[in-house]
Amino acid sequence: MKKASILIIDDEGIVRTSCSRALSPEGYEVKTAQNGIEGLKMLETERFDLVLTDLKMPDMDGIEVLGKIKEKWPGTEVVIITGYQTVDTAVKAIKLGAFNYIEKPFTPDALLAAVAEALEKKKR
Amino acid sequence: MLVRKTLHSLTGKLLLTIGTLMIAGSAVFWFFLFKHQEKELIGSTVKYGHSFVDYVIKSTRYGMLSFQQLLIQQTIEATGSAEGVLRVRIFRCTGKIAYSSDKKEIGTVVDKNDRACRGCHAAAGGPQMIPTWSISRDNTDTRVLNIVQPIMNEPACYTSSCHFHSADQKVLGLVEANLSLALLDHSIRQQGIAITLYILVFLFVISVVLCTILWNFVSTPVSLLTQGMEKVAAGDLDYSLDINSKDEMGELAKAFNAMTADLKKAKQELIEWGNTLEKKVQEKTEAIQRAQDQLIHSEKLASLGRMAAGVAHEINSPLTGIVTFGHLLLKRFPAGTQEYEDTEVIIEQANRCSNIIRGLLGFARASAAEKAATNVNDVLNRSLNILRNKADFFNIKLVTEFDESLAMVKADPSQLQQVFLNMIMNAADAIEGKGSITITTRNKRDNANNFVEVEFHDTGTGISDENLEKLFEPFFTTKPVGKGTGLGLAVSHGIIQDHGGKITVKTKPGEGSSFFVTLPSLEE
Repeated sequence: MKKASILIIDDEGIVRTSCSRALSPEGYEVKTAQNGIEGLKMLETERFDLVLTDLKMPDMDGIEVLGKIKEKWPGTEVVIITGYQTVDTAVKAIKLGAFNYIEKPFTPDALLAAVAEALEKKKR
Repeated sequence: MLVRKTLHSLTGKLLLTIGTLMIAGSAVFWFFLFKHQEKELIGSTVKYGHSFVDYVIKSTRYGMLSFQQLLIQQTIEATGSAEGVLRVRIFRCTGKIAYSSDKKEIGTVVDKNDRACRGCHAAAGGPQMIPTWSISRDNTDTRVLNIVQPIMNEPACYTSSCHFHSADQKVLGLVEANLSLALLDHSIRQQGIAITLYILVFLFVISVVLCTILWNFVSTPVSLLTQGMEKVAAGDLDYSLDINSKDEMGELAKAFNAMTADLKKAKQELIEWGNTLEKKVQEKTEAIQRAQDQLIHSEKLASLGRMAAGVAHEINSPLTGIVTFGHLLLKRFPAGTQEYEDTEVIIEQANRCSNIIRGLLGFARASAAEKAATNVNDVLNRSLNILRNKADFFNIKLVTEFDESLAMVKADPSQLQQVFLNMIMNAADAIEGKGSITITTRNKRDNANNFVEVEFHDTGTGISDENLEKLFEPFFTTKPVGKGTGLGLAVSHGIIQDHGGKITVKTKPGEGSSFFVTLPSLEE
């Protein structure tokens, strides 16, 4: 069975690299985008099972990206990555349909667990 | 000076007035008494003078009727030689001296203006033909009483054999006696001296009595009163007058004592009032100072929160890289090798950074709490359940004294839990893993506001004054490096403040500390 495809949207290169280096060995198909606009463009052409998006980004923030994804591709799960988590933005994200949020800095295990959980939900 | 002062004093004035009045009164009394006495004495002397002249007339009657001029002269001389009698003379109505005890002037004629004649002739309406008297002074300035009595014509005279007098004559002549008043004057003088002496003695006695009375009943109490006034004016309000008389002075002293007591009471009240005011001002100043400190502190925390948020955002991404790649590296080394352990150190230290950031973020989070009606007891129980299983708490006795009727508060339970966990962990650190922590909840009322108070009491070593000041400052910690970030209390403080409450500390070095978290109760 083909492993799930994951899109990582983050303006920080190190976060993108960290995520792909943690997820790739587990067999996930990982692609990255530098910002929301680029990520949405990739979503137009490709199907992703899961999107991991940073919350704070220039031009378009994670909440907006989440809204767009849930609008156009309701089947795609979204997990928010945040280095500046506050309860209200997290609540807002969950309300808008994000499956979960993960706080930076996270360990590869925590990331894998969150991803596995999100994909598990999608399967059901 | 003393005399002047005495004269101006009440007693002096009174003495002067009464003295003057008494002396004047005595003088008038003396004058009238003296005059009256003199008049009386002269009156009786005149009476005796008349008797004497009468006697002379009667003695010479026989000589007159029998016209024995020698006999008459002898009688006149005899009567004139009596003690006190200066001269006796008989005038004819023509003014010729017929007989006299002073032989030299016999035959001399005097006119109507002579003293002897004046008595009758000077009076208006012609001769009065009554006995008269006058007082004159002789050449030795002795007073002399002159008695003049007319010798009236009578049948025996003009029927006498000598036919010397005719029947139609009314007055035949007159007898004048000059009597010395030396004795009388002497006795009058003596009497005057005696009266003066009596009056002087009387004045002296009255003066002494008056002075004594004034001294005892006026002067002494007045000077005591003055002394008292001066003492009171100088501020000695404990001074009390010891005048127990039942007169006006006693009343005055009583009133004075009452006034002094009132004054003392008023002054005391004033002082107390002043003290209260001072205390209140001090309290208010302290409150303002506290509020200002709080404000500065809040401002400090707020700016720190803003900075922390920015820093967290920037640092968390690189930290993610460190942690992730650390873990990836860890998988490549067999456990137990030096490389494995070194990598573990990298991850550990990165996690430490992460914890610091998390602490800093507490400031930023505090402003975005999800507040709802919360039972503080429940939050405390949840916090305790988390801690009970931690190894650090195995030797610590956790005592809870919860008020079951505790009011609800409007709060974010997860933030409250963060605060409570922090408080309990601090207490555990304070007692160094051994001893007891008592957590008490209670309802409190202060200035018509209801509060819920949570007390965290530890049996630790207490906090020094020096540390107490910095307790809520971010990054202040007494824990060894790596064990505490110094952000716990600062964050807790921020959270509780955001909930409208406050954290206070009571500590006794050596005996432990109590942290109080107070939150406003939710109104029913």
